[in-house]
Amino acid sequence: MTISRRVFVKSGGLALFSLGLDPLFLARAALASNRLSAQPPDRPVLVCLFQRGAVDGLNMIVPHGDPLYYRERPRIAIPAKDLVDLDGHFGLHPSLAPLKSLWDNKSLAAIHAVGSPDSTRSHFDAQDYMESGTPGLKSTSDGWLNRYCRHDQEHADTAFRAVAFGPQLPRILAGTSPALAIDDLQAFGLRVPQEGARDKLTRAFEELYDGAATGLLASSSQEGFAAIQVLKRVNPAQYQPANGAAYPPGRFGRSMLQIAQLIKAGVGLEIAFADLGGWDTHINQGSSEGQLAARLRELGVGLAAFAQDLGEGMRNVVVLTMSEFGRTIAENGNSGTDHGHATAMLALGGPVNGGKVLGRWPGLDPASRFEGRDVAVTTDFRDLFGEILARHLGAPDLGAVFPGFSPSPQRFPGAIRV
Amino acid sequence: MRLRVLTVWLALALPAALGAQALTPRDSALHALNRLAYGPRPGEVDSVARVGVMRWIEQQMAFERLPDVLLAEREHDFKLLDYDREELAQRYGEALRQRREMQREMARSGDTTRPRGAGPMRELRELGGDLQQLAVVRAVLSERQLREVMVDFWANHFNVFVGKGADRFLTPSYIEETIRPNALGRFEDLLIATAKSPAMLFYLDNAQSVAPGSSPPGPLSALRRGGTQRRVPTGINENYARELLELHTLGVDGGYTQQDIIAVARIFTGWSIDRPQRGAGFAFHEWAHDRGEKQALGVRFQGGGMEEGVRLLKLLASQHATMHHVSRKLCARFVSDDPPDGCVDAAVDAWHRSSGDIRAVLRAIFTSPDFWAPQALRAKVKTPLEFVVSAVRAAGAAPDSTLRLAQVVSRLGQPLYLQPAPTGYPETQAQWVNSGALLGRMNAAVALAAGRLPGASVDLDDVVAATADHALLVDAVNARLLSGTMSAHTRAVILAQLADVNDPVQARTIAVGLALGGPEFQRQ
Repeated sequence: MTISRRVFVKSGGLALFSLGLDPLFLARAALASNRLSAQPPDRPVLVCLFQRGAVDGLNMIVPHGDPLYYRERPRIAIPAKDLVDLDGHFGLHPSLAPLKSLWDNKSLAAIHAVGSPDSTRSHFDAQDYMESGTPGLKSTSDGWLNRYCRHDQEHADTAFRAVAFGPQLPRILAGTSPALAIDDLQAFGLRVPQEGARDKLTRAFEELYDGAATGLLASSSQEGFAAIQVLKRVNPAQYQPANGAAYPPGRFGRSMLQIAQLIKAGVGLEIAFADLGGWDTHINQGSSEGQLAARLRELGVGLAAFAQDLGEGMRNVVVLTMSEFGRTIAENGNSGTDHGHATAMLALGGPVNGGKVLGRWPGLDPASRFEGRDVAVTTDFRDLFGEILARHLGAPDLGAVFPGFSPSPQRFPGAIRV
Repeated sequence: MRLRVLTVWLALALPAALGAQALTPRDSALHALNRLAYGPRPGEVDSVARVGVMRWIEQQMAFERLPDVLLAEREHDFKLLDYDREELAQRYGEALRQRREMQREMARSGDTTRPRGAGPMRELRELGGDLQQLAVVRAVLSERQLREVMVDFWANHFNVFVGKGADRFLTPSYIEETIRPNALGRFEDLLIATAKSPAMLFYLDNAQSVAPGSSPPGPLSALRRGGTQRRVPTGINENYARELLELHTLGVDGGYTQQDIIAVARIFTGWSIDRPQRGAGFAFHEWAHDRGEKQALGVRFQGGGMEEGVRLLKLLASQHATMHHVSRKLCARFVSDDPPDGCVDAAVDAWHRSSGDIRAVLRAIFTSPDFWAPQALRAKVKTPLEFVVSAVRAAGAAPDSTLRLAQVVSRLGQPLYLQPAPTGYPETQAQWVNSGALLGRMNAAVALAAGRLPGASVDLDDVVAATADHALLVDAVNARLLSGTMSAHTRAVILAQLADVNDPVQARTIAVGLALGGPEFQRQ
């Protein structure tokens, strides 16, 4: 059925374009009409967190065993006495101390020196490449998480398969597969006090868009109305985190809480996305305390609360942090760091090969630096993302997700236990 | 005189340019009001059609001659406009002091509940609200609609983030003194104005960029250097240089290298800001400037000095890549998300001929066949700002002077002056259309129709009379609020929804809510 629809889209798309119906809409509509409301089984979940602005990987996962680290960062290095040591060479920023127990029970790993083969130091370009999954190629119109959804249709059966928390759908989930952008689960839907009147108005708008909308307006509204039906059942206003989990105040904490809620509700969530900003620390970055420390604290507390809230449920969940690039090895003249190259990412969850700093560490020695100043990339981000898609979500065809690249098991950093 | 001749020529030339697919005068009036303005107010399509759309466009271009009394009166409500940059800087300083005292107090008492703070902190917050709401009020009320659209375009093109430190108090003067006076002037002047603006210098860190090894003169600064804080910067910062080339001028494919970026950053060393106590104005710090020779974009810069930066900006403004990059973005705003080459080429041509006169470039776009092509009509989805402002205008509603209407725009996904990335907001629909945001728009439309939209007062009696005759009602809603764009399907759905509604006022509320929240009104 799906195949015949796709053929229809392919052959009819061009002709219909002139009528104002673009192929993107048709593909989304075809998928949307394919959904069932049946409760899916216990499926693996991937939560992607984007640290926008380029996190300083060296102060997040600190190579304290390397004297060059302290020499290059006289004002902003994390003193050894404040660090949470991991393996004698690397340590966690003190703000990430809430994650230490997860490291100890082997469900947290760090991947160092990961990044893009493209050398750009532009936030915009680098984020774009990390989300499109095609470094160096600007013309890719969709994101790699969306392409994964499109090429693994086994799970394309619920409105909540792929959800981004925020007012807009991010680039990473843009594309022909349906994906939801939700700012707040509780406010999702039409705000009319009486249930009867609300249902009636919802139906009226649904009909309006069903008949008169074209393009993205049509497919997006369809996704929205399908989601309203499911949420009616879930009743997010009643949610209480389990095991005494305390999420940090603010947008990020709320996103993590609502992701946990959707996972527990069994609505078929497979991909969740949230982002958190404030990492572009050019000036007065701080050390054990300060600007970066405050952002990392929010991240650490949020991740720890999420793991605690889900408890046993973490056995099927992988949380992956990512950031467009790292920052310069040396601090700059403003007690900050400038745009660099490789950075560190975190993987958390039951399937994670935890308790290790993964990836080949290139060292801080000037001879092994990228362009003489930055941490070199030894793991292409597509090898890490690809490994998680293949070994955690069971993606059958990574070539379709990362066109022009073939992630190879030999190069996988080993983030997922096999 | 020349203008009048041109106008007559345009009025004559337009139908010919459109050929067989000529639009009716009402169609073209609606199209122009959708793109050059924030949508029509009730009856405005007819009035523009009567004047003649090309004449109306020329009136909008020559905005200085359009009276704008209502808005001028309204601007008195905004305390923000009574303060200049120095006064705002002072208030910012007071707010910071208050916050520090509060933090000390909190540390002493161990009380971590954050009080909202009265006095300077509160005043600063209110001024920040003023800034956002003023943009919404101007967009709704101004007769000089094209100018407001262009102010929004340039403020987004030369994006700054009001949430970053000193930009909290520098952004108001950025909008009033840097963007607004130059919005329909010459691109080069606008570019230089942004480069010298304290808001941009702070936002993209150029204020902190100094030649390596340089240090400020005078015993005071030496003292500060030796102190514990060491706030004096000691190296170049490439941030502004990179975004200047990538976003403001040449574009990411504009053919420059990392070496160019470094050279540009060196040229701008010393372009900085006075201390807040002295008003935080533009200052060129001779001591911080790198006087060495630089090679940027194949041109040699020798001898140093502030003039070097101005020379570079003029060079950038006259590059073909800049003309193409900015023209294409203008066409993406005015014509379609992925604009045809024809209108872009016409804009670039006009740019060449006029040395970057923004009016000439816009005129080339507005007279290009691509602008008036049938596939351009309603081809663009409104941004959240455009949706909210056009809905308020369509319903003949009045915005109040509180922050609330701007907060509606924020909730729909476009918090004004709060885009942290230097890219600004995209000009394309993929950014704005998703299921959550669409439901938000439906909610806003229903609230506006019921008179419950925060920050807008509406009296629908002035727009559509309440009547028990549903067919008459829906036709009036179509004519007055949707300018006749309602599809037969939408009409049928609204009528079905009204079937069991007996109260004429309630019926009108439902019809207007569905019309403004429906698919037709999301497009322009």
